[in-house]
Amino acid sequence: MTAAISYAVWGLLGAALLGLWAFSRSADSPVARPAVVVQRLATGPLLRLALVAWWMFTGWHFFAR
Amino acid sequence: MPAPQHLGGWRTGALLAAGAAYALAVAATTPFTTSANVLTGLPIVGLGVLAVARWPWHPTPLEAALPAHGRHPYRAWTGLLAAIVVWELAQYAARGSRGAHPTLSSMADAIDRHYLVKAVVVFGWLCLGALIVAKGTQASVPRRRAREAP
Repeated sequence: MTAAISYAVWGLLGAALLGLWAFSRSADSPVARPAVVVQRLATGPLLRLALVAWWMFTGWHFFAR
Repeated sequence: MPAPQHLGGWRTGALLAAGAAYALAVAATTPFTTSANVLTGLPIVGLGVLAVARWPWHPTPLEAALPAHGRHPYRAWTGLLAAIVVWELAQYAARGSRGAHPTLSSMADAIDRHYLVKAVVVFGWLCLGALIVAKGTQASVPRRRAREAP
């Protein structure tokens, strides 16, 4: 039962992610597109360091360790 | 002589094919082995080298490249990210088995058991790395052009 709730919440979060992605691509959307979000992060003096560190960590954690 | 767009298409296609082949190779490795360390470490080192070589030392943060009515274009993404982090931490700290309280890591482990699915995930990770390098490189363009970014 607990696992079902956990997976349901993960599913809702995933659906929200896809929904926000789709909404951001609609005409005149007030939400930034994913590529713009990445560009904003990659052009921030400190945010870009966090972004690169996060990308490196996820790859290492998921595929190597 | 081929048109420049034609060359760009070939280059993009070649990069995607190389990335897909590399993703298949990474997916064939087993975590905690030398081959997994090396094949995962190479793109990590590569992104670090490319970022140092191509990114400006003093970047200009992208202004909101959005319509005028989008005053907080990143708020929804920030909220969703916060919700994911909170749920991940709640699952990680919860008492009980990992099966009852799955985290992103445990779900990734389950996915990694399927070769092709793992290859798709690795390919997405590589594409995201390439996007990060490309978007950071565009920081050197004039601000007027940066506002017109897609």
